[in-house]
Amino acid sequence: MTSSSGRIFALSLLRRFHLVDAQNRRARLFDLKIAQQEDADNSALKTTQSATSEDEFDHPPVTHILFHDAEKKLRALEWKEVESVERKAKEIRVRDIEAGVVTNPESLAKDVLLERDVLDAMILDLENRRATRANDLLLKEIDGQLRLEAVDTGFGAIIRRLTRGKYMGLRGAQHISDWKHVEFLRGDAADAHAGAGYNRRIARLPPGEIATLSNLLPYLHAAELLTLLPDPLAADTLEAMSPERQLQIFEELDEAQGLQLLTLMAPDNAADLIGRLQPQNAKRFLERLPQPQRDRLIELLRYPETTVGGIMTNDVAFLPENITVAEARARLREVFQSSDFVYLIYVVADTESRRLRGVVSLRQLVVSDDNCALKQIMDPYVSTLHALSSANEAAYRVISSHLAAMPVVGDDRRLLGVVTVDAAVAQVAPATWSAQAPRVFT
Amino acid sequence: MSESRTDVTNTSPLTLPPDVSKAAGASGLEPLTSDEIRSVTNRPITRSHSVRMSVRGRSVRLRGMRRQPTGLMRLLLILGPGLVAASAGNDAGGIATYASAGAKYGYDLIWVMIIVTVSLAVVQEMCARLGAATGRGLLDLIRERFGIGWALFAVTVILLANFGLVVSEFVGVGAAVELFGVNKYFVIPLAALVLWYLVIFSSYDKVEKIFLSMTLVFFAYPIAAFMAHPKLGAVARGAFIPTIRSDPDYLFILVGLLGTTITPYMQLFQQSSLVEKGVARRHYGAERVDTYVGVVFSNLMSIFMIIATAATLYVSGSRDIDTAADAAKALEPVAGHAAQALFGVGLLGASLLAGAVLPLATAYAISEVFGAPKGVNLDFRRARFLHDLHCAHRARRRSRADSESSGRQTSALGASPKRRAAARYTCLHNAAHQRQTLDGRTRQHAHI
Repeated sequence: MTSSSGRIFALSLLRRFHLVDAQNRRARLFDLKIAQQEDADNSALKTTQSATSEDEFDHPPVTHILFHDAEKKLRALEWKEVESVERKAKEIRVRDIEAGVVTNPESLAKDVLLERDVLDAMILDLENRRATRANDLLLKEIDGQLRLEAVDTGFGAIIRRLTRGKYMGLRGAQHISDWKHVEFLRGDAADAHAGAGYNRRIARLPPGEIATLSNLLPYLHAAELLTLLPDPLAADTLEAMSPERQLQIFEELDEAQGLQLLTLMAPDNAADLIGRLQPQNAKRFLERLPQPQRDRLIELLRYPETTVGGIMTNDVAFLPENITVAEARARLREVFQSSDFVYLIYVVADTESRRLRGVVSLRQLVVSDDNCALKQIMDPYVSTLHALSSANEAAYRVISSHLAAMPVVGDDRRLLGVVTVDAAVAQVAPATWSAQAPRVFT
Repeated sequence: MSESRTDVTNTSPLTLPPDVSKAAGASGLEPLTSDEIRSVTNRPITRSHSVRMSVRGRSVRLRGMRRQPTGLMRLLLILGPGLVAASAGNDAGGIATYASAGAKYGYDLIWVMIIVTVSLAVVQEMCARLGAATGRGLLDLIRERFGIGWALFAVTVILLANFGLVVSEFVGVGAAVELFGVNKYFVIPLAALVLWYLVIFSSYDKVEKIFLSMTLVFFAYPIAAFMAHPKLGAVARGAFIPTIRSDPDYLFILVGLLGTTITPYMQLFQQSSLVEKGVARRHYGAERVDTYVGVVFSNLMSIFMIIATAATLYVSGSRDIDTAADAAKALEPVAGHAAQALFGVGLLGASLLAGAVLPLATAYAISEVFGAPKGVNLDFRRARFLHDLHCAHRARRRSRADSESSGRQTSALGASPKRRAAARYTCLHNAAHQRQTLDGRTRQHAHI
């Protein structure tokens, strides 16, 4: 291709171009197929922070031009056959139009076609943190290759399309989102398993933001989005969603993924989710969960929803009182691998009885002398909650205490779990706000 | 302190209490008895949402698992968008058409309502199914399947039609309150304000409950119909023996009945509200029941309107009925003040319900076409576009067109249009990059 670089074409205008070959045979452009990012290794690379800024698939190249020949057969012509793109004549000059291969439309089902799949589709604009419509697509000519550069989400793009470029040409391109910051979803979680054609930059956002963005999507798209994420991030994202949305999306995931997410979720959240499933499904998931998670969830699910036990988490870090600070630190290295709530460490008489003696903050444990006994630095005056008290009253107590969490004990002061301030706020917040309540500590 | 409380709290979290383990081996999902629920805690738990189940041989009782209610309670819990959408179709214009049909042609047109019930059920159910299967509104799907051109055409028609309809609903409210001697200039703004407040500041669940309770006013029509002492034989004949006349007025009313019973905003609201309610395809069965119940209820009420006017106005010869208020006024000398009052209450409720649903359906539609966040649950910050549209539609003002001043701004960037376009594009890119850099502190986790 001999044309100059840097020109920008709007898809809405480009699709009105004709293909013209050396013998002056003509065909109307039908659609453009872009390259897809195929392998998972590349996807994994892009989710890391060290990924290069200019990736091959940040702006995927157009690989094929689709058109109908004189016999109305769909043909796919490779882009390398293109000699030039003539904007004024509205022509794409190609060497030989007959070089286009007759293609079955079904064989294109897994490919990404710009007009069929992307134009007008719901997309996630990660830079502006919004879900919006692709009103037009902008393609840039770089070294003879046409690349998908950006999405125009503005009203001007609609005017441009309706007036065939007469008004609001590229000057109307006000709301442009760079394609590398766009996550394009198809609405099918199975596609996400196949792994092709996704930017996956969504995985660089914190889970709360992903959950907020996914709330703007239809639930099938949100399930697809969750499938794109690494499992730990997907579990955190699921936790940040409203209970109704959680259930809606969870039921769209395949069972293996659902099980994996339940394993990774904080026990209180996982218990709430299981509690909302149909009993038969809940039973199936509980039976397939690994032993420690299963036992934790069953323990939480035994408490009614209106009690403290119903809102507590039982995945907490605790240490016996008769050890030194140095020993405590060494033990915590192992405990923290799996614990959900780690900001306060509870000191118990012994790990068998788990009778609560006091509490130590992470800061105290870090700044204290190695040889100091744990019981010397702990605060022995701990406010506690009873597992069967009212959840609402307990939630107000936790919030007014300004603590990250308050421990939950049985009658014999056995440590059963903690109610974090997050869970407390979510408990008493109005229904329309509880889903947005921050979840920092669990 | 009760013994049962000690029982639970003294037990190791990973060990089951004795009363639970003795039931090990049971394989079913048996609901807890009320005695068992009370025994868990030291205070009565009113919600018995728990069942006993066997997990890997251990019998445990777990909270949260809902037992499905049965009978009438189950039906009442199922009712939602389907009933609201169908009932909203019986608006002021609809009541006028049904009253006119009854007053002019007696029971002769009831058969049309039976046929149109089937058509409406098919259309409404299809929309409900689309909503549950895709999680998307009707205009959302039109935009993706048929493109922006058809979507804009559809939304423009909807906007114009609904604009007129909203006006007619508030005219209906005014006419209804005037029947009771209340000043319409006071009630209409008040009604608009209350409905606006409801949609803007309430959650979807609350709005749905209020809409559902508003459908109760339609029971005024069967009572009015029975008070008019219709001839049951004539009603049955009108319902099951189709009559076709070449009279242009007859055909006009027949078409009017079809048009007023199947109106686009019913489909828009049905699908979008179902999506907002969060109905997934796996739980669609209940929504289908809701849809069918809604359609049958709404058209049954329409039939009662026809019967009420046929048994009174048609018989007495008062056949010039143009509005629902005319029908109510004409009813008084024939069927008494109570019948008129019931008709008026029905008109008020129907107009208010349609007046609430219409702007919402319109706002849903426009938001879907332009990809803006939508939802009654979202506040102004998160769904500004939807709420702006809703307010604008309710205030019956035309929303201001988006001012596009980009041409003037970019004209300074270069002489040739192509260069201007390229410069504009580069400029936007740079601006986006700068915004991202400046905003780095708040987006430090994003690394985009």
